[in-house]
Amino acid sequence: MQASRARLFKEYKEVQREKAVDPEIQLICDDSNIFKWTALIKGPSETPYEGGVFQLALVVPEQYPLQPPQVRFLTKIFHPNVHFKTGEICLDILKTAWSPAWTLQSVCRAIIALMAHPEPDSPLNCDSGNLLRSGDIRGYQSMARMYTRLAAMPKKG
Amino acid sequence: MDSNSIANASVPAFKESKEFVKKKRGNNRVAKLKQCKMDARREQWLSQAKKKGSKGESNGIGGCVSLSNGICGRENQLVGSREVRSRGDEKEGGLGVHAADSESHVDNSLVGGVSGNQEPRKSRSQSSSSNSSSSSSTSTSSSSWCCSRSASEDEEEEEDGDDDDGCVDDWEAVADALTADDKQHHPNSEPLVEMDPALVDAAPSELVNKEAELGASEMEHCGQVKGRVENNRAWRLDDAFRPQCLPTLSKQYSFPLNSERYCGHGAVTWACNGIISQPSPCPICCEDLDPTDYSFLPCLCGFRLCLFCYKRILEADGRCPGCRKQYDPQNVEMDANGGPPQYRLARSCSMSTRF
Repeated sequence: MQASRARLFKEYKEVQREKAVDPEIQLICDDSNIFKWTALIKGPSETPYEGGVFQLALVVPEQYPLQPPQVRFLTKIFHPNVHFKTGEICLDILKTAWSPAWTLQSVCRAIIALMAHPEPDSPLNCDSGNLLRSGDIRGYQSMARMYTRLAAMPKKG
Repeated sequence: MDSNSIANASVPAFKESKEFVKKKRGNNRVAKLKQCKMDARREQWLSQAKKKGSKGESNGIGGCVSLSNGICGRENQLVGSREVRSRGDEKEGGLGVHAADSESHVDNSLVGGVSGNQEPRKSRSQSSSSNSSSSSSTSTSSSSWCCSRSASEDEEEEEDGDDDDGCVDDWEAVADALTADDKQHHPNSEPLVEMDPALVDAAPSELVNKEAELGASEMEHCGQVKGRVENNRAWRLDDAFRPQCLPTLSKQYSFPLNSERYCGHGAVTWACNGIISQPSPCPICCEDLDPTDYSFLPCLCGFRLCLFCYKRILEADGRCPGCRKQYDPQNVEMDANGGPPQYRLARSCSMSTRF
């Protein structure tokens, strides 16, 4: 409990200090609860998510950093490894491959990497996974781009 | 001879004049210094001129002799006027007589030197030796300084007239001039004295005395200046060394080491970030590592963490946070030179290059 709090404070300071280092990621701590964070990440370029801003909710367990934070998408995203309804993310580092050396910032970086390199073999979004596994890259990309426009881009007009 | 009479008459007068000057010192030290110097120089000139005159030497500096004679005449007037002044001063009371006594010593001897030179053929060395002995016997260093300085100046003037020709205004300027002198030719004023061919015949005692006096007076009066010189030298040394070995060095030497050690083994960047801050914290709990933690290396990958976190990880899944391999309790190293070496090494590096 105390260790996780100290660690989160440290990460908070780090985030404040190095805001400009990672312009793709904006980490915001909840005003009243340091165990609740929100992240805004930009969709990586040359992917169907380019131009979108995706909101993530991070819930940090008290055993952090020995246990990984629970991360899910608040913004709708069409991605084979993200549950379309709940926004749950299937990512090994958030489950078994977690290391206490990771930070919230590095988790966000990992999620951006996951958006650029989907893993259709362990899908949470079966439709998306099926499109990719069947080789319909174009279908997957157009669906993903559509949802990005619908959910992750500021509405015009 | 008139100068003899001057000398005799001016002994008490000089006492008072010195006293007068002494009183003035309180409000105007610069003026006092100037006066003192000028007096001593005039005496010197006077003695030289008299000596030359008595010798009848006219080895190419007859003009000089006549000039000094003129000065002598002026000196006469000056002494007379001063006598009047000091007489007036006498009434004001005799405070500072004690100090004035010691100073008047110099003047007495100076005058004595002059009068001694009046005797047809007294060697110059005698006058100068009496001069130097008297000045060495003086307790007030300022007066001795004046004497020695002006004497040496007079002799130096012949070869380097550009030195300070009496227009030195205050102590600061004198000090600066001395430092400049020091810088130009370091074993100060010794070469000058030795170079002077006119002085070669002078008694060695004079040389020695003068050198000693100069040294002493410089030590006393310009101790501050000398200190500054030494400081300057130290600074210069420091400057020469600074770019290589000062704080930057510890960074140069220690940080790459760290980053190599940690990043080279594929640890996450966070480990590096954590270690860069000087009292490096445990990358897991952010508590500062203590020496025991430093000497504790649980995994071959080099990922370091505090014993508390290590224990907690062992109780959980037991994998190294750096490489995600299972911790092997048999492999745990407690090496003495594993951890704090970052610091010790950096420090010793800087020390070794510095000295």
